[in-house]
Amino acid sequence: MASQGVGQHVLSDLGPSQHHHISYAVPHTLHLPPNTSFINQEGSSFDFEELEEAIARQRVEINNDEAKQTFYTARQRAATLEMFPSWPMKFHHTPRGSSKTGEDSADSESALNTLASREDTTATGHRLRPPQPPETQPQMEMAISSYNPTTGSTQSQLETKPTPSKRRGSGSNADKVFDAKTLRRLAQNREAAKKSRLRKKAYVQQLESSTIRLAQLEQELQKATSQGFIIGGGVSGGNISSGAALFDMEYARWLDDDHRHMSELRTALQAHLSDSDLRIVVDKYIAHYDEIFCLKEVAAVSDAIHLITGIWTTPAERCFLWMGGFRPSDLIKMLLAQLDTLTEHQVVGIYSLQQSSQQAEEALSQGLEQLQQSLIGTIANGSVNDTMHHMAVALGKLTGLESFIRQADHLRRQTLYQMRRILTIRQAARCFLVIGEYYGRLRALSSLWASRPRENFIADDNSCQTSMNLQMVLSSPNQFSNF
Amino acid sequence: MHYHAESYGNYNASTVRQNAAVDPLERVVRLASGSAVVIFSLSTCCMCHAVKRLFCGMGVNPTVYELDLDPRGKELERALMRLLGDGSAMPVVFIGGKLVGAMDRVMASHINGTLVPLLKEAGALWL
Repeated sequence: MASQGVGQHVLSDLGPSQHHHISYAVPHTLHLPPNTSFINQEGSSFDFEELEEAIARQRVEINNDEAKQTFYTARQRAATLEMFPSWPMKFHHTPRGSSKTGEDSADSESALNTLASREDTTATGHRLRPPQPPETQPQMEMAISSYNPTTGSTQSQLETKPTPSKRRGSGSNADKVFDAKTLRRLAQNREAAKKSRLRKKAYVQQLESSTIRLAQLEQELQKATSQGFIIGGGVSGGNISSGAALFDMEYARWLDDDHRHMSELRTALQAHLSDSDLRIVVDKYIAHYDEIFCLKEVAAVSDAIHLITGIWTTPAERCFLWMGGFRPSDLIKMLLAQLDTLTEHQVVGIYSLQQSSQQAEEALSQGLEQLQQSLIGTIANGSVNDTMHHMAVALGKLTGLESFIRQADHLRRQTLYQMRRILTIRQAARCFLVIGEYYGRLRALSSLWASRPRENFIADDNSCQTSMNLQMVLSSPNQFSNF
Repeated sequence: MHYHAESYGNYNASTVRQNAAVDPLERVVRLASGSAVVIFSLSTCCMCHAVKRLFCGMGVNPTVYELDLDPRGKELERALMRLLGDGSAMPVVFIGGKLVGAMDRVMASHINGTLVPLLKEAGALWL
């Protein structure tokens, strides 16, 4: 912009005494005290178009007056005045000391009353002006807000310049001589400035409300994590039923128990206990699994959808979710690969277990598929008159989910029992250890997944977490081959 | 899989009287002995659909009685519930005239490997 160009040029002429953070064109002979801050630091409310206007007017006046030789001096004296070219003339005569800040408004002369009241709004820090007759208000407010209370000297400059005001008199005639193009451009600039002011205001408001919301969320999150589980009901605003919340809590406790049982199994195997002692440990582990199946049965009654959608599992586990839990045939396949001291008879037995499990899973999946199709039909077919009835029917069908989850868990349980039957006690102990380790690694994978490096990511915090997780995964050595 | 609506089968006066006099449980037993694999089901029940799919998947051809489509199905249902001692009875499976039970019993017997020998014994499965 032209004015900026001028400003840069002018700035370079300013001596060190002119100590300001000015980045726009200021006629360089303004003798302001060092701590004058011309710019409204809060934002872009200094409008370049006003300055441009001022300079345009200046040019026009110069052209009209043909007083080029006095240009420099006139500029000196009229400089500050020309910053506010559209001020009504009478203001120029009045002492503007009281007009600087709100607190000085007591001093106001009659002519300054309006000025001071306008200043009040600016003094409160709102640099965003309401859309008012653009020619007078914004420029004056801008000008006023640009001034530091301590610009006494500036005021004095203005006050002691009757000449510029006289020039102003002639200048007001000059105003009317603006060509249409300039006027249009100035008007456009004003409009653009007004728009950007409004946009800024909206943005600031949005930021403020977002900050408040963020603080609220952080508070809730802290509360929830400190208590170790997600709070049910409407407190956190989440859609977690009390049954689901209870299950999540119990499941977390079950996971802790699982760690304990796992280490017991590990030490029991390493210690080479007798078969009968080992049997006790293995049976305890089976009872531990029975426990989770019981918990799931209770949870299925209160919130089958919570179970079947797998929200209670970690992300990686959720990838392999089948009917609210692990798929038994997948587990058997994994075990077949990992358990290497099997007799041929055992291998045959495990293969047929895998096959039966697959058939059972297929049957249950097809049953669930029919339930879903039936539900879709019910929801889609509800007529306007009959909505409540259809909703009731749909709800009834949804409760059928519970029986499928129950059958699926039953299948899982039976599969584990059958593995226990096929294997020797030592093999069974290894088998359960393998299962436990497998799921431990799957959960670790979930943590790694959650903390994987992404661009909007605070590298320090989470790379720590990631490396910690990696250590966790790698620390448990290849236990599978030890026994 | 063949479906039977029992009342349609023998529709003469004497049979009707005979059927009317029969205790529902006896009817159940009689029906169950009629085929190698008998499933008492409800047409709207999805778990019943699952058990049917299970047997068909194994290559078995069960006889299915949809009790909700049978005029006297309600009594049969009640009799079966009493037999199993369980509220949600359907589906109920009989193999070789012998009661296997509801879905969980069928699944458990399949997993522990007892279902296939039972089917073979009843002649429902070859191989």
